[in-house]
Amino acid sequence: MNTVYFIAQQTMYFAIPLLIVALGGMFSERSGIVNIALEGIMVVGAFAGIGFINIFQKTMSGQSLLLLAVLVAAAAGALFSLFHAFAAVNLKADQTISGTALNMFAPAFAVYTARMIQGVQQIQFKDTFYISKVPFFGDIPVIGPILFRNSYMTTYIGLAIALISYFVINHTRFGLRLRACGEHPQAADSVGINVYRIRYAGVIISGILAGIGGLTFVIPTSTNFNATVAGYGFLAIAVLIFGQWRTKKIFFAAFFFGIMKTFASAYSGIPFLKSLPISNEIYKMIPYIATLIVLTFSSKNSQAPRAEGIPYDKGSR
Amino acid sequence: MRRTKLLQVEGFTSFLSSLMAIAAGLLVGLIILLISNSKDAIPAFVTILKGGFEDGAKGIGQVIYFAIPIIMTGLSVGFAFKTGLFNIGASGQFTCGAFVAIYIGIKWTFVPPEIHWLVALIGAMIAGAVWGSGPGLLKAFFNVNEVITSIMMNYIGMYLVNMTIVKTVYDSLKNQTKPVLKSAILPKAGLDKLFNTSNVNIGIIIVILAVAIIYIILQKTTFGYELKACGINKEASRYAGINEKKSIILSMVIAGALSGLGGGLLYLSGSGKYLHVLDVLAPEGFSGISVALLGMSHPIGIFLSGLFIAHLEVGGFNIQLYNFVPEIIDMIVAVIIYCGAFALLFKQIMIGIIRKPVVEIAADSLNTVQTNPQITASTEYPAADEVIIDTEENETEQREEL
Amino acid sequence: MEYVIEMNNITKIFGNFKALDDVTFKVKKGEVHALLGENGAGKSTLMSVLFGLYQAEKGNIIINGKPVKINNPNDANNLNIGMVHQHFKLVHNFTVLESIILGRETVNMGILKKDDARKKVMDLSERYKLKINPDAYISDITVGMQQRVEILKMLYSDSDILIFDEPTAVLTPQEIEELMKIMKELVKEGKSIVFISHKLNEIKEVADRCTILRKGKYIGTVNVDTTTKEQMSEMMVGRKINFNIEKKDIKAGEAILQVKNLVIKTKNSKKNVVNDVSFEVRKGEILCIAGIDGNGQSELIYGITGLIPINEGQILFNGKDITKESIRKKSIDGLAHIPEDRHKHGLILDFDLKENSVLQTYFEPKFQNKGFIKFNAVREYAKKLIKQYDIRSPKNEDSVVRNMSGGNQQKLIVARELDRNPDIVLAVQPTRGLDIGATEYIHKQLVVQRDQGKAVLLVSLELDEVMDVSDRILVIYEGEIVGDLNPKEITVKELGLYMAGSKRSDEYEKN
Repeated sequence: MNTVYFIAQQTMYFAIPLLIVALGGMFSERSGIVNIALEGIMVVGAFAGIGFINIFQKTMSGQSLLLLAVLVAAAAGALFSLFHAFAAVNLKADQTISGTALNMFAPAFAVYTARMIQGVQQIQFKDTFYISKVPFFGDIPVIGPILFRNSYMTTYIGLAIALISYFVINHTRFGLRLRACGEHPQAADSVGINVYRIRYAGVIISGILAGIGGLTFVIPTSTNFNATVAGYGFLAIAVLIFGQWRTKKIFFAAFFFGIMKTFASAYSGIPFLKSLPISNEIYKMIPYIATLIVLTFSSKNSQAPRAEGIPYDKGSR
Repeated sequence: MRRTKLLQVEGFTSFLSSLMAIAAGLLVGLIILLISNSKDAIPAFVTILKGGFEDGAKGIGQVIYFAIPIIMTGLSVGFAFKTGLFNIGASGQFTCGAFVAIYIGIKWTFVPPEIHWLVALIGAMIAGAVWGSGPGLLKAFFNVNEVITSIMMNYIGMYLVNMTIVKTVYDSLKNQTKPVLKSAILPKAGLDKLFNTSNVNIGIIIVILAVAIIYIILQKTTFGYELKACGINKEASRYAGINEKKSIILSMVIAGALSGLGGGLLYLSGSGKYLHVLDVLAPEGFSGISVALLGMSHPIGIFLSGLFIAHLEVGGFNIQLYNFVPEIIDMIVAVIIYCGAFALLFKQIMIGIIRKPVVEIAADSLNTVQTNPQITASTEYPAADEVIIDTEENETEQREEL
Repeated sequence: MEYVIEMNNITKIFGNFKALDDVTFKVKKGEVHALLGENGAGKSTLMSVLFGLYQAEKGNIIINGKPVKINNPNDANNLNIGMVHQHFKLVHNFTVLESIILGRETVNMGILKKDDARKKVMDLSERYKLKINPDAYISDITVGMQQRVEILKMLYSDSDILIFDEPTAVLTPQEIEELMKIMKELVKEGKSIVFISHKLNEIKEVADRCTILRKGKYIGTVNVDTTTKEQMSEMMVGRKINFNIEKKDIKAGEAILQVKNLVIKTKNSKKNVVNDVSFEVRKGEILCIAGIDGNGQSELIYGITGLIPINEGQILFNGKDITKESIRKKSIDGLAHIPEDRHKHGLILDFDLKENSVLQTYFEPKFQNKGFIKFNAVREYAKKLIKQYDIRSPKNEDSVVRNMSGGNQQKLIVARELDRNPDIVLAVQPTRGLDIGATEYIHKQLVVQRDQGKAVLLVSLELDEVMDVSDRILVIYEGEIVGDLNPKEITVKELGLYMAGSKRSDEYEKN
């Protein structure tokens, strides 16, 4: 049973960042803007967040430091995503190219800045955020060990984000208008909705969430930030597509991939798997192969937002 | 009938907008340098601009050495672009090609030494082709977006190659591949004397050949016609009886082969480059994207922009003298690409045709005399350098452009 | 009688092109006012100015006696002007209710409150007799209901001035009658209606007055009751129209294309979109498949040409079974296709004219040698087509096709397909979006084919075209052939009944 709890806890570390970033991608794409810059935004968010922790950890620690770092990461992600919003909405540029440019810029920027300031490219931080057990909740049978032990605050932030996202997309005026802009912007425009503004909002939200996601990725799995998020931003896009752009399915997809990733990196902690003669690299490949297989079968009936990737031009009829 | 013609040479406006993007990128680079260390910023910036010329012939040789792999990946990405596909998987194809080249270079001792390097290169091409076919097949038969599949293939390729190196040609002390046999190293053909560096070899000739072949395929053959048609309009290509599945697959296979060849050319150059067993994607693959975009996906443009970006990279290497970090070059290139994303807008600003999309007029009747200027309806702007108004005698209005 | 809308001296320019030239347009309160003109005359542009989508360079607008500035659809909405667009502006995966309230949602701190909205919508639906199902998804409802949703959108935001842009293009004759009744109902309740159309029959039936535009200029305003269709059409085009097409008296020969028991299913439907269809096309005849858009005719043609797969059935061409042949092979064997969507299928817009001219033939020995294109031969061929079919373009054979007008693009496609000397031409809505001149020209070309003993399979939505051009009419309804008619022996009204599924020939009775 302990193995199961262990797997569940590890899965959280991998699934939550995927979940947050994929939901960010959902807001952007359902407003009509393709955002493959999630990888780069994650790097920027992680860089800002970890950098913040690195600077202030002498005077602060624990959950309050983490919370502030989350805010910093969110802000950094939002700012960085503005470049993409501007290129896509105002300049009607090719969104894949703009996203690729951001992805190229972010790690270079992280390395450059880190090395110019502190000489080395890795930014160290002390992990004072580990929660071994949430009082009271951690004692609940079954759910306790899975959700409330060996966790981080960011886990709960991520779950909250999921709930809020579901509500916003489906039950608010903003959500309705956002969806209209992504499916049929002419229809939205004709009833007086400002498509440009909504699309900016969609991209900025994706920036906020990807920034938080970047920080959430680094904190539980490492003690330093090395200017990379190991392709998580792209995995998040796969989660988005697998989840057919819908909150509930994205949630399941994120956890599915999280479990795969867990097997890949933590299999040495699982006695049964350790004894099999499968090399480490194969485990690492599994999430990516799984993605390929999943995409192969889900691409036929795609529910992608119909107007995504097409720059909106008011004058066209 | 009177005619008003606009900027005729299509390449010219593209070239200009590339230049503007480059200028913007360099400007941002300068600003970053100034912010980091204003004292050394200007000399460093000049060093970047000088690039390979800093060291004379040897520097130019270095530029060529850096340019070879990224021109190949640039051709790979650009060729795929022309046929409507975004080959972001150039890294994986490059790595697979590199590995196979090294493997043949070490293990295939039965090959006659005179052609050992050639066989290794061919092996690299095949490896790249196979790796590129994956996203192609998935797109053709299952309509899976090639961007995501290519990215996945990058990682799978990286892990696969790392795993295989350890099992076959591993130097465990240095965590990299063993050196290849001398017979597998590309012949220098005197080029190393010319450029005063041992890193230059006939690879550059092979690259030029590749550029020429791709150009001919795209512009002169029915195969290229079909590929371009599929890239622009898949549906119309089906209507015309073109087998778009075949085109997509062949296009990715060729693109993969080009990247694979690039990997082979780099790792068989005898320059002390070895494949490290690290979880890092080959950066040459991503440089290829920059090269292709800056070169407007045109083979000649790609050749030139590959040289240009290599030139910048050498400059970036040199600024370490001033204690700057070479990653600034990546940032400059990223900004160039970002500006390139709205190159079309640059073009139109220059030509002065920022007008709202126009209304379709189907006012061409055979018998009537008065015709309105014929303008197309479009949700996009017409090709900026080619909008011409065909006017009848009675029409007095004339479009005034640059 | 006061005017509810006055648009005075409106001039609208796009770049260097005058879409509207000093146009004055006045609508009285409580009337149905038709706006008549050919494609490109400026009707939609004028209404887009009224609705705030465009701003005029010159002129002014007065609503209910007050001068106003309308800068965007919000301003128009605030003035109680509403518009039902020709291409519906509905989101396919929204419900009817969500579509109606979009932009005017009732909220509590940002959260949608649908109950109040639902009540108001259902009240309006009852009052104006606009039947809808508020929880159905837009993609699942009929076109007629979609249009009612658009109308309810306007009424929900309290529009008093309702603009209908070509509303009948997608309706069955029965739905058109219903729409006419709805319009009369709306006018009774005090609304004023502008009705854009180029269809004289409908204008005659429902409008009080009619304003005619031609090539951006105001021609005149008439009382519909006292003006004949001929007079209105002459104002519309500036010359007398010959409504009749001259055809040689030819007896059709043997069958060249035989379709047997064709069944086509779409990806996710349980119904057959083409359901056991059999017919034949004979040499020297123009066979027209008539029907309301969306009854399977598009799929039928795509199935015959091979653009979509066939589930059951057989196709024989010149006696040979071509059911499983590739698109390329069918084309080589003599089957030409003028497609429904010239931008999607017929042309590669970013290629130039000469490259498009050989789209179907570039692989033939006369245009390539061992895979290398013979550019001179291609150029000469393109020049020949330009001359023969009078295709106008900015740079002749070097013009990028995107920059050509729709009419010339269509002529290029027609030229390319007919010049191949095919045995049969499948022409799907070949004159859609074209004006009278281009339409006449293409009809002539099709008749020439027929007179030469070739076969033409025409698919059309325009009743005039169906009646005037064809030798024989097959009516398709819900994927089945319901009638094989002789245009000389039936009336348009009867044809309409067949198209609406209200009538079936004896041999096509449902089992």
